[in-house]
Amino acid sequence: MINDRNREIGTFVPAADDDMIVCRCEEITKGEIRRAVHEGMYTITEIRRYLRCGMGLCQGQTCARLVKGIVARELKISPAQLEPASSRAPMRPTEMHILANEEKEGKRDE
Amino acid sequence: MKRYDLIVVGAGPSGLSAAIAAAGKGLKTVVFDENERPGGQLFKQIHKFFGSKEHKAKIRGFVIGQELLEEADQAGVEVVLNATVIGLYQDKEIVVRTGETVHHYKANAIIIATGASENMVTFDGWTLPGVIGAGAAQTMMNLHGVRPGKRVLMLGSGNVGLVVSFQLLQCGCEVAALVDAAPKIGGYGVHAAKVARTGVPFYLSHTIVKAEGTDHVTGVTIAEVDAHFQFIPGTEKHFDVDTICVAVGLSPMSQLLKMAGCQMEDNPKKGGQVPVCDEHGATSVPGIFVAGDVSGIEEASSAMIEGRMAGIRASEYLGYMQQEEEKSSLDQLDHALDGLRQGMFAPANRGRNITETEEGIPISENLLTHGFVAEDEIERFPGVTRSIGVHPVMECTQNIPCNPCQDACARHCIRIGEKITSLPAVNPENTCIGCGLCVASCSGQAIFLVNEQSEEGYATVTLPYEFLPLPEKGEKGVALGRDGQEVCSAQVVEVRTSPTFDKTNLLTMKVPAAFAMKARFYRKKAQ
Amino acid sequence: MESRIMEHPILGEIKKGRKVSFYFDGKKLEGYEGEPIAAALKAEGVMVHRYTSRKHLPRGIFCAIGRCTDCVMVVDGRPNIRTCVTPLKEGMKVQTQYGVSAASFKEQEEKGNEKI
Repeated sequence: MINDRNREIGTFVPAADDDMIVCRCEEITKGEIRRAVHEGMYTITEIRRYLRCGMGLCQGQTCARLVKGIVARELKISPAQLEPASSRAPMRPTEMHILANEEKEGKRDE
Repeated sequence: MKRYDLIVVGAGPSGLSAAIAAAGKGLKTVVFDENERPGGQLFKQIHKFFGSKEHKAKIRGFVIGQELLEEADQAGVEVVLNATVIGLYQDKEIVVRTGETVHHYKANAIIIATGASENMVTFDGWTLPGVIGAGAAQTMMNLHGVRPGKRVLMLGSGNVGLVVSFQLLQCGCEVAALVDAAPKIGGYGVHAAKVARTGVPFYLSHTIVKAEGTDHVTGVTIAEVDAHFQFIPGTEKHFDVDTICVAVGLSPMSQLLKMAGCQMEDNPKKGGQVPVCDEHGATSVPGIFVAGDVSGIEEASSAMIEGRMAGIRASEYLGYMQQEEEKSSLDQLDHALDGLRQGMFAPANRGRNITETEEGIPISENLLTHGFVAEDEIERFPGVTRSIGVHPVMECTQNIPCNPCQDACARHCIRIGEKITSLPAVNPENTCIGCGLCVASCSGQAIFLVNEQSEEGYATVTLPYEFLPLPEKGEKGVALGRDGQEVCSAQVVEVRTSPTFDKTNLLTMKVPAAFAMKARFYRKKAQ
Repeated sequence: MESRIMEHPILGEIKKGRKVSFYFDGKKLEGYEGEPIAAALKAEGVMVHRYTSRKHLPRGIFCAIGRCTDCVMVVDGRPNIRTCVTPLKEGMKVQTQYGVSAASFKEQEEKGNEKI
């Protein structure tokens, strides 16, 4: 249902608060998120890939809920109906050199 | 790869409780926490907890934290700090970052107790330095000893917003206003009342229009909202503040569970994305359990019970406990948890419009909209009576699961009865000796000792006082009403402190007799 | 250091490490060893920790528990250090972060132009 891109959601209507920053890390505004929905991004995962909101340093800790609310409203559905973005490692921002630095002693079962 | 019987993620109240229960049954248990210190948010909780004895009522949160750490230590729980869990996989493999290294661990059972993260709202200027989460304020003042600001506006009237506002006042900040877009206060009335009586104005059905300032907050404008949360033009109010504190709820931090393949649901009653689990924390993946806020937003008191439940379930799952023993332990914990989930604020009552107390008394509307019980409402509650001589006045007007006052009075002047949520009533047959133990025992700071005629034309009012500097005997000042407005002049006749009062000082002030039922706070006269 | 709480009605005296000095954008400031850098800065009245990459807007302490990453700064030459959870050490060099650098946006732009 939600992913049915033929579903009529109307056209993008500019709003007074479109300049409001929603994703603090990547500095993505409410207007950009709303516009992305009208450009065909109906899922949180797509929105994240398209705009990078929720993919900055904090990994969506602050904005995930806000983004969900904005997308749901644009799609005229309840936020509960929107699948959250996938969860994958690393759960917290981790530098590449640390990710690559696996503990040696306790050897993994090779 | 290092192996454990049980890995617990999160060393907050639920995680530690889970580890204690499991280690007590002989499981080799480790707890990972990404923070520098254990205890989660407990060490920022400086107020006395609600509940009954079994819920550690009237003990301050940070003291409960210390007790939990000692218990964990005795039980042989290994707590690893600065250890960030960055991955959890279906076969119960866990990836942890400590320092500059990544480690892999495996366990036969996992308990996720990662807690919650703060929700936010957007408004013009919300990214300015000086706009902070309520948790940040608590961390700064109660852990690091630094005031978050000089003058603060609080957004959010849930328990967090109310409790943090009071804590801001305690550490010497000024709270300019407490604001909430909702038409009614969300948290406990007693928490609101202790903030209101110090003079903090409440603005319900109001929210922030914008935070002002170029490099940091220098002011804030709020405005009234209509039933659809739209600003009503012309209702704007401005405050000069350097800090805006946001306390608009919490969301479970459940991403690890989703990653591990647990079945998830979006449950607004539990605060958002939570794992589908049974009443004792078993998720859809065998051997993965949850406890605390990650499985649904509640209080630290319930999180500790849920933690014990998950610890017991994990013990039984791994064969360290027989089913009969498990059942009897869980029955006991079920009973304790049920006790906490009673009353007006019970999870089952969320979103429900309650108009009467369990006793059939109309609730105070003024308390819900202004933060204090109005003068024409207060005397309908059973804790508020008039009599000759010193007597307790319990301004406890909502059914919440809490009863330490009943136990505190050795003379049995206070009666709550079997039902923990009943409003405290005065037992007229017994005589109060004015010991003040009830005043200090009340986590809501809602009990006063009143002597309506201590001497000709004068009354004394004894109130809980948790501020510095402590007023001195003989000092003259003003008495404030429940609304925080000056009602009359007052003189301090006694200030009692005692280890049994646990930092709740008892301030007795003399006021003209006519103000015995009006004067509820004391302020030194400004020089 | 007027925002330091010297005595608290419930917590009593707040225990701190030894007093140390550190540098904020070259200026010598004081704080207590082991407390988060952000706490020391706050006590010294510093509100702005960084300016953002895209819109060049100021940011400071927001969550104070290492989650939001708004308070990151350049510490001892390393950018993106969460100052709210990084303990203060004697002589630490703390710098305002512009984007992901300690160089101002103007300097960054000039440098960029040089390369071209």
